[in-house]
Amino acid sequence: MGNEPQIEKTLLNGRQWLAALAIVLPVVLLTPPLWERIERYDTGPDYRIPYQLSNDYGLYGQRLKAASNPNQVVVLGDSVVWGEYVLPNGTLSHFLNQESGAADCYINGGVNGFFPLALEGLITYYGQPLRHRKVILQCNVLWMTSPKADLSTEKEEPFNHSRLVPQFRPRIRCYKADANERLSAVVERRVGFLAWVNHLQNAYFGQKSILQWTLADDGGTPPRYRNLWKNPMRQITLTVPSSPQDDPQRGPASPRHKPWSEDGRGSTQFEWVGLDSSLQWQAFQRLIARLRGRDNNVLVVLGPFNEHLMAEENRAAYRRIRDGVAAWLAENRIPHVAPETLPSALYADASHPLTEGYEMLAKRISADPTFRNWLTEAAGRP
Amino acid sequence: MLFHTWPFVIFLLIVLPIFFALRKTRLWLLWLLAASYFFYGLWNPYCLLVVLYITVLDFFLVALMERCPEEGQEVDFRTGPTRPTCLTRLTRLTRSRGTWLVVGLIGNLLPLLFFKYARFLGENLNAVLSWLHVSATMPDPSTLMPFGIRYILPVGISFFTFQSMSYLIDFYLGKTPRERNFLRFANFVCFFPIVLSGPIERAGHLLPQFSSFPAIRLRNFSDGLSLFLVGLFKKLALAGYLSVYVDRIYDNPKVCGAPALILGTVAFGWQLFFDFSGYTDMARGVGKLMGFDLLQNFNHPYLATGIGDFWRRWHISFSRWILDYIFMPLQMYWRDWRATGTAAALLITFLVSGIWHGAAWTFIIWGALHGLAATFSLERSAFYRKRVPKLLKQAVVFIYVSFAWIFFRADSLSDALLIVRRIFTAAWQDPQLPALMVGLVVLVWIYQIIYESKFRKVLELGVVRVGLAVVMVLGLCLFSSGGGAFIYFQF
Repeated sequence: MGNEPQIEKTLLNGRQWLAALAIVLPVVLLTPPLWERIERYDTGPDYRIPYQLSNDYGLYGQRLKAASNPNQVVVLGDSVVWGEYVLPNGTLSHFLNQESGAADCYINGGVNGFFPLALEGLITYYGQPLRHRKVILQCNVLWMTSPKADLSTEKEEPFNHSRLVPQFRPRIRCYKADANERLSAVVERRVGFLAWVNHLQNAYFGQKSILQWTLADDGGTPPRYRNLWKNPMRQITLTVPSSPQDDPQRGPASPRHKPWSEDGRGSTQFEWVGLDSSLQWQAFQRLIARLRGRDNNVLVVLGPFNEHLMAEENRAAYRRIRDGVAAWLAENRIPHVAPETLPSALYADASHPLTEGYEMLAKRISADPTFRNWLTEAAGRP
Repeated sequence: MLFHTWPFVIFLLIVLPIFFALRKTRLWLLWLLAASYFFYGLWNPYCLLVVLYITVLDFFLVALMERCPEEGQEVDFRTGPTRPTCLTRLTRLTRSRGTWLVVGLIGNLLPLLFFKYARFLGENLNAVLSWLHVSATMPDPSTLMPFGIRYILPVGISFFTFQSMSYLIDFYLGKTPRERNFLRFANFVCFFPIVLSGPIERAGHLLPQFSSFPAIRLRNFSDGLSLFLVGLFKKLALAGYLSVYVDRIYDNPKVCGAPALILGTVAFGWQLFFDFSGYTDMARGVGKLMGFDLLQNFNHPYLATGIGDFWRRWHISFSRWILDYIFMPLQMYWRDWRATGTAAALLITFLVSGIWHGAAWTFIIWGALHGLAATFSLERSAFYRKRVPKLLKQAVVFIYVSFAWIFFRADSLSDALLIVRRIFTAAWQDPQLPALMVGLVVLVWIYQIIYESKFRKVLELGVVRVGLAVVMVLGLCLFSSGGGAFIYFQF
């Protein structure tokens, strides 16, 4: 053979590996914190994590870090807190601020597409800046309205934010990811550099890797490929995108912003999952334990669930769940507020209020003596 | 369990320390075999039965062959003083190494025929029978599986079968001694870094490495990690990227213009190279971590100056296998036919190569194209070797090899023919190829050209090596895609 391979001559020896590590390690360790310093991140009042950045968990941690005033209260929850049908100035945190007379006392810590199992992961791995803070945690019983919503079915169900849920224990039966996917989720949570890469992909490359981004199409027919000859480096504008103030999909002018029903009467039969077996409720309990373990002063807001939607005979089961949650919270001395159900016309669906609904909800929460007492307490857990 | 996945990292983190810890005992071989069987059995435990069957068959057939007199010492019963009876014929037949070789070859090829080719053969036979208006049909092989076991292709069957067969043939040819230790031989057949996609090792190269615990030096780790990193980068960053473009073109060739089809085919050539050579690099890297030296499989194939040269650079372990065990015997058998015999041997060898890759007409045509090019290659002529500029030779070979890849990649023969037709007839539209993809492939090409030039020393500089390693590590974090399975697993 005239061409005997000699590739081994270009392999690294021990010293060269050490040299490579001496370059790679500082890059990996220092890039994320340095990046946070140079990237412009305009939060402002009523800021919420933009919809398209819902998977940017590193950004969430950055957001919590940015809201560093110990007097600020972070409102944690799913899309009800985030405000699925409303603009940033129509959310619960906005109206709580309005009630308090401050501009940014309450921080919108909701994320679109969340549920307790994912929120638990988010707070556990990305929520360290929340330590010693006052936290309002929303409890949405929507996640117990069926085994599917509770993620307790045997059949495989795709769901959002699967990288945040427990990957091995407790077992989520409908989550059928292979071992590699689960392990890479576990690694990603623990390596800050990977969270930073995820942030880059989410913020500047349409949730794609830089290479895949160059091949992204616009979804049209025939598809157009707009990034083929673009310089990926130019995408990195060093300014985190923010939620549009005039999102056509949200707010009073949007066609989606309308009451869930014209006559206000429902006949939905939910297949409630009992508290003793609900995965979401267990995750919620663990989340509270985690927050309290981090010296957070937690207040739980139970609801706002749209009771009007349910068939009459289904309400008893709902009340059992709601009362069970309240009893557990009381038993564990966790202050909680369970505002009265809003008028039917103020709901957009089973749990999301419309703008006026949020306003009314904020008023009711603010007027609640438990809430008022809790507000006067110190930031850390009493 | 794929090399570029986290479960494999965990697997390796368990296997390696125990392997090293057992170095002073005899258990290391058993541990290695357990790890290999676990690694292979994870795909499908039933497929492990095929591995065991091949292992036991070849191990005992060679033992039987050893008991037979060597071919030269055999008594030809036809020249004996008395006419032999059936019993003596049978006895003498069982005392012939050639008999056991034939039994071995058939026994080895049977699972391959059944799992890989039975459906293809059945379908084609049924088409012929139907054309002849014969009512009989061949059953689908899946209906022949016992106990409700699924009919699936055992991953890597072509690789471990050929590897094991090489031991049988080499013993017959007197090139390798009999391996008396079953554990060693079982490791040779199912060694986990190579069982799924090679390199196809030879008994003479790998078996002696199992005779004692390998010498482990720091160099093993640095080299092993280097190879693994290069392979990982090729697979996750480069092959994964190219596959997106290639799949877009080949999934719907009807709507693509000629430039897209041409560039999609070129991209596939590189995708396959990065995918397969990436796998091999990782396999060799893992082997090195354990102190084993595995065969090199690729050597800048797209810089080849002839088809023969291409096959000395592409899937080297396989091309040497078909050269030694198919081409050489055929050429020897037809030596009286001179050039015609050599041409026929070449054609058959490459047809077998095509069929080895898959049970489809596209692979057969791909093999035939290479066979034809090898047969009519000008490589042996002094004019071609000395007068034709190297770059021109490289370009011609690359274009031809890329053209043949169309048949390798296309989902069906009709798709392949459509692509060929459209390359010459379709409109010249924007191929929608990203500049970054072009840039990355050109960079690799330049690297290889420098590597084979007098400037190679530049690439051997420590600073360049370290720089490339840093780029690859960071590139993996920034660029890598999921990767998916390796293309060659289907073979």
